[in-house]
Amino acid sequence: MTAFLELKDVSKRFVWRLDIAAKIANLFGAGLKERAVHAVNHVDLAIQEGEVVGLVGESGCGKSTLGRIVAGIMDASDGTIGFRGKALAAMNAAERRDYKLAVQMIFQDPYASLNPRMRVEDIIGEAPVAHGLIKRSEMGAYVERIMAQVGLDPRYRRRYPHQFSGGQRQRIGIARALAVKPRFIVCDEAVAALDVSIQAQVLNLFMDLREQLGLTYLFISHNLSVVEHISDRVVIMYLGRVVESAPTEQLFAAPNHPYTQALLAEAPKLVATRRDYLPIKGEIPSPLDPPPGCHFHPRCPHAFARCKAEAPVLKEIAPGRLSACHLNDQV
Amino acid sequence: MVATLQVENLETHFPSRDGIVRAVDGVSFAIEPGEILGLVGESGSGKSITGFSILGLIDPPGRIANGSIKFKGEELTTASPERLRQLRGARIAMIFQDPMMTLNPVLRIDTQMIETVQAHEKVSEAAARVRCVETLKAVGIAAPEDRLKSYPHQFSGGMRQRIAIATALLHKPDLIIADEPTTALDVTIQGQILYEMRKLCRETGTALIWITHDLSVVAGLADRIMVMYAGKIVETGKIATVIERPQHPYTRGLIGSVPGAMPRGKRLFQIPGMTPALINLPPGCRFKNRCARADATCEAMPELAELQPGHGVRCHHPFGAEPLTLAEVR
Repeated sequence: MTAFLELKDVSKRFVWRLDIAAKIANLFGAGLKERAVHAVNHVDLAIQEGEVVGLVGESGCGKSTLGRIVAGIMDASDGTIGFRGKALAAMNAAERRDYKLAVQMIFQDPYASLNPRMRVEDIIGEAPVAHGLIKRSEMGAYVERIMAQVGLDPRYRRRYPHQFSGGQRQRIGIARALAVKPRFIVCDEAVAALDVSIQAQVLNLFMDLREQLGLTYLFISHNLSVVEHISDRVVIMYLGRVVESAPTEQLFAAPNHPYTQALLAEAPKLVATRRDYLPIKGEIPSPLDPPPGCHFHPRCPHAFARCKAEAPVLKEIAPGRLSACHLNDQV
Repeated sequence: MVATLQVENLETHFPSRDGIVRAVDGVSFAIEPGEILGLVGESGSGKSITGFSILGLIDPPGRIANGSIKFKGEELTTASPERLRQLRGARIAMIFQDPMMTLNPVLRIDTQMIETVQAHEKVSEAAARVRCVETLKAVGIAAPEDRLKSYPHQFSGGMRQRIAIATALLHKPDLIIADEPTTALDVTIQGQILYEMRKLCRETGTALIWITHDLSVVAGLADRIMVMYAGKIVETGKIATVIERPQHPYTRGLIGSVPGAMPRGKRLFQIPGMTPALINLPPGCRFKNRCARADATCEAMPELAELQPGHGVRCHHPFGAEPLTLAEVR
């Protein structure tokens, strides 16, 4: 079975190029060099149709960049992206357009992701009209239908974004993504900015829409309990690399990678027991200057000599479970 | 023993064109030295305004309309601005949500921290610097001598929040009010900060009010918890009691909407509707329009009644011994 969406060896580098001032400074011996950030580093990821994949990591681990590559907002520096068995690079213009419409993105900040000068009906209706999915004369009715679908009162379609609360704005963002009839939605921290009770409403909406429309999700979040609740499979990223990937139940029951174990230990849980946990030390290192070998070794309690020298590969440790850790090679 | 803070019947009002916004409406509580109190509520529940009122940071036209705030026996609502300025930063400190907004981006960390020390004590700059280094070390910043010479933008979000916390700790205050200080941070950093805050409170006897919308954050941190809804306390008690046997329908709703409380993939419990606007509130229980248990008795505002010693609930229909099921889930 070919995957619905498949990333093979995808990398994204952001390069700080020498500008004229830097080049002139170099003439005088400043010795400035180009610097590259490996935001995403050789990532393989296959998503099946109808699956919800949770992508978890700390800020700066490259999870949003990966989401943007999947959604077609950014191009990968290396690697191939396949959609329904066809490589993106081999697609013609029409196929590419279909891909971009089929994959939509919902953003974190419901305040920044909506144009404050546009009415809700234009925010939601502009794209389907522009792409010829509906006629301009049908826009009003179409927008009302989509708004009802995401739980917004259609009477509010002439309003501006500032007239809505945070949760309602996030619904506008969802409606905008749904308006072009996507098959796949990338949610980038889509509930992170919401109150717990509103977050529950939006998560329920995501689950309802999945049932009604058969959507596939890539759900990016740093909140483990949200990901545990909504995902079928969880992928953990650390500093540009995937360190573990497993079905949700298995990952939460028995995390393999030391980083996953640390993340799970620190996730706040709704139990009133005093946890005298000792948090993992330090912070995620700068991607400008990642540590050699396994990126996690400076913070890892189990690190040994090999971790400093050699980057572990993502290997299958059980059917459907992948982990990148040298500890798995030891008996 | 005198309580570190004793708040009685606090009312904070904001007049507006359409009427008075009663952001905090009759809140009473006390906190002992070394105690950690979790103050939980949604946006607009008045939890942050309660914190600001204690510090005297309510901007006109908003004002404390009624009630008393006693800090170690001293009345704060009638205190002079000079006296409040002496207390703020020295005896009562606040940590805000966004560390980028608390720190001045054009001043080095040492300038800002030494200024804080010298604002309240006559000490030499060298002595103040030593104090800053010690405090930064206490919150887990490596090589504090060098880091003091950096600007805020050279730190990550978690580090900035640590600096804000260190600044709050400089004078070993008796009370710290923390307003969602870890909301913007990653779980690993949040874990570190929760751990360090709890250690500091235990060691120094500082009382801590932790304001948050996320029950799971305070679940492992606080001794006692207070749930606010539309300006009023709806439930208060020991953390274990409230989380294991919540009595108010709103508290149950909050617990049910935390993912993880429900089996995976099931719908989460949804509190129907939205928080009411705080202008011209109708009489009676403020939660009645969203409550499945509401009836005619709810037209009268329930009192905050003690069900057991220390466990107060503002509801006509508390759940009693009913187990925590989420049958309300559609």
